[in-house]
Amino acid sequence: MNAADLHEQEKRKRQEERFRNKMTKTSARYLRRMEELKGAPDSLAPFLQTLRRVYLEMENPLADQEKPIVGTYCVMAPQELIYAAGAVPVKLCSGSYTAFSIGDDIVPRDACPLVKAVAGFQDMELMPIYRDCSLMAVPITCDCKKKIVELLEKTHDVYPLQVPVSREDEDVDQYVEELYGFMDRLEELTGREITWDHLAKGMNIVGRSRYELSRFLELKKSMPYLMKGTHILAVMNAAAYLPADVWAGYMHELNEELTVKVRERQRAVSRDLPRIMVTGSPLVFPNMKIPLLIEEMGGILAADETCMGERGMSDPAVVVDKSFDGMIRALANQAVRPCSCPTFVNNKERIFRIRQMIEDYRIQGVIYHVLRGCLVYDFEYKLIEEELGRMGIPVIRLESDYNEEDVEQLRIRIEAFIELIKLKEQNNGNVQAGRNEGGM
Amino acid sequence: MSKAKKRIPAILICIGTAALVYFAGYIPFYTYQEEVLHTTQEQFFSADHLVKLLPFVIIVLLAAACILILLQIREFAAWKRKDDKRYRRLKTKPKGSKVIGQKRSVFMTVRWCCMIVFSLLVMFGGIVLGFHLAGIAFPVLACPTNLDQMVESSCYFLAHIPALFEEYSAGGIILFFVSTIGFAVLLGRVICGFLCPMGLIQDIMDKIRQKSGTEGIRMNEKRHNLLKPVKWLLVFLMLGITFAGGEFCSFCPALATSPVLAGLSVSLYLSGFMMIFVLVSSFFKRRFWCSICPMGLLIGLTHKISPFRIKKDVQSCTECGACYEACPMGVKIIYTEREKSDVTDMNCIMCGECIRKCPEDNALAMTFAGKTLFRASRKQILSGFENRKAQKGGDVQ
Repeated sequence: MNAADLHEQEKRKRQEERFRNKMTKTSARYLRRMEELKGAPDSLAPFLQTLRRVYLEMENPLADQEKPIVGTYCVMAPQELIYAAGAVPVKLCSGSYTAFSIGDDIVPRDACPLVKAVAGFQDMELMPIYRDCSLMAVPITCDCKKKIVELLEKTHDVYPLQVPVSREDEDVDQYVEELYGFMDRLEELTGREITWDHLAKGMNIVGRSRYELSRFLELKKSMPYLMKGTHILAVMNAAAYLPADVWAGYMHELNEELTVKVRERQRAVSRDLPRIMVTGSPLVFPNMKIPLLIEEMGGILAADETCMGERGMSDPAVVVDKSFDGMIRALANQAVRPCSCPTFVNNKERIFRIRQMIEDYRIQGVIYHVLRGCLVYDFEYKLIEEELGRMGIPVIRLESDYNEEDVEQLRIRIEAFIELIKLKEQNNGNVQAGRNEGGM
Repeated sequence: MSKAKKRIPAILICIGTAALVYFAGYIPFYTYQEEVLHTTQEQFFSADHLVKLLPFVIIVLLAAACILILLQIREFAAWKRKDDKRYRRLKTKPKGSKVIGQKRSVFMTVRWCCMIVFSLLVMFGGIVLGFHLAGIAFPVLACPTNLDQMVESSCYFLAHIPALFEEYSAGGIILFFVSTIGFAVLLGRVICGFLCPMGLIQDIMDKIRQKSGTEGIRMNEKRHNLLKPVKWLLVFLMLGITFAGGEFCSFCPALATSPVLAGLSVSLYLSGFMMIFVLVSSFFKRRFWCSICPMGLLIGLTHKISPFRIKKDVQSCTECGACYEACPMGVKIIYTEREKSDVTDMNCIMCGECIRKCPEDNALAMTFAGKTLFRASRKQILSGFENRKAQKGGDVQ
């Protein structure tokens, strides 16, 4: 009996050791590749350092805040409320291959890799950012998210947020109530009543980070080769693990540096590489194979429409009414209406958003990223493909999983895609005419 | 059957409104033995003027009392229902901090200045500037009870059509219709958003509520649609009640503002109570009166040809709904529209709030004859954060 227990313990210990080794190694490899990618601005360092701290040194960058940590699994859980309660949010959606391989045995085979990775981390209880969470908020955006609630409940307090399925008036009203419920739960957690002033401060903290991001996007629009997309994804991913004010501070430095670069026309790449946009399932560190492949194969990731990237943070909460209720409404409205997540029935607004991004960032080709098992995104591919076809923008669908088995295949397809864009560019006349016709 | 049942409240409200309008003249608020509808410059600057303001002061005080009582009732109801979460929410008020949002835009400053200047003109224009324009009729911008008004008012003769044909010669009648329709077409409901004194008063009430952080009442498109029968009924009553022997001016809340503030001795009937209603309702719901104002509705009929337009770039819109949330008139197509670039609506009062609150560059704009007056921008939405050093550690205490 005792011997068996000891044996189990021993086994677990070895497994933990192996997990730690493998995970830090994979993360280190991807981080190195990101660092080796040329053309990074100097102010990128703190963002990469954050990723290093979380995934390599297995630290919790939020630990020194000395506040309860609230984990969120989607951008629809408003960070403003969490700050208002006197806690600090962290985004827990994960891209770890090692955690995925463990989660593979826990959740059904057809579940998406993101959820498998979450399950893996939850099972190992090794990652400080997961372990230190006092509460986890899970907006129910798909079946997988729904079912991980039970799983997470084994070790953590979990608050599921019911996301409406459409965006009608009643749906927003319902989400307002949902947020009030979440607010009560947060107050219970921190033991602090959320007053008008607390909420206003929470709005301001997140608002500042939105402001810095909007400045950044403005700069990027003015010069498409300003920064490599992989590096931008590092910036956006780092936001998940940093307090919003600290992130905004780093962002401020970055913006200052990039302003100078724009003025002096300093580009991240010397040649005009094909400008590619990624849309679809989220790209979370260390699952950076697609952006890295794009930029290593001679393209540039000029924009991303994914929720761990720019999209998740770019829409500001617009306060129309300055009462307490007005601010909560603004948060509910911002979470539901502009969100182009395919969890909603009738998600036509995503097409318009993609069209606008193609125009803003002068996109030449679109890669539609689908994580295996992410049905809702896969469903929307057809719609997007048709629309982009009309516009004359080439698009490919890339399905991937959280492992490196498909890297060669992805490499070949991305390389061919980039060649295709180059070829199209050479027969330029055609393309230009087609875009003008399809665009307007 | 159930459909008919659903109509019952609407029918009752309509009958009630009709009765109120018809019997408006029998419900006194503040009456004078002898009405004086003239004032001179000397009188205007004398202490007598202040005495004449008494009815308005009473209205404001009563409205304030009503608002305070309603707020108390709302809090009491939450407390009684043991809904202490809601009770706390109603109680929590700004104490020193503020939401960093937008800096004041030039457009909004112009709008407020316009409202203030024109409100003063309606009341005192004749006294200060003379009566050179007396024959021209302007919708809303004058109250006929004030004999010193600068221009002729459209609403009086629209409410008293027989009087128009009795009092005026053919030329006068033509001038009346040409100027009324002319202004309505040229300006459209910009009159409501920029010029109407009632609009100014209502916007001030809303400002007071927002500053105090008091929770208002949100009205979406569906709730606005509930008001539709009342709105149309008021138009027909305004145009027709005179034929049935009624007096619409005794109902009109505007009577309690411009003539009274100008220092005239005007007897107020239901108008006084209506003005209290306007003040109280606009405190809880911005520009509530505008959504049932019969004159506003008539002006709004020109929305298809008026040169002032609300334009939308359907591609850059993200359907975030900020415009819809901001719209005091509950115009929904402004955020759902994905085909037409023109989203000017009959109910739109051109207050520009949707454009000010739109976070997407150029997604919404107001134009005059094709020239852009005001456009949406992300920069403007977040302008409150400009020049604010992004500091570390400036967090919630």
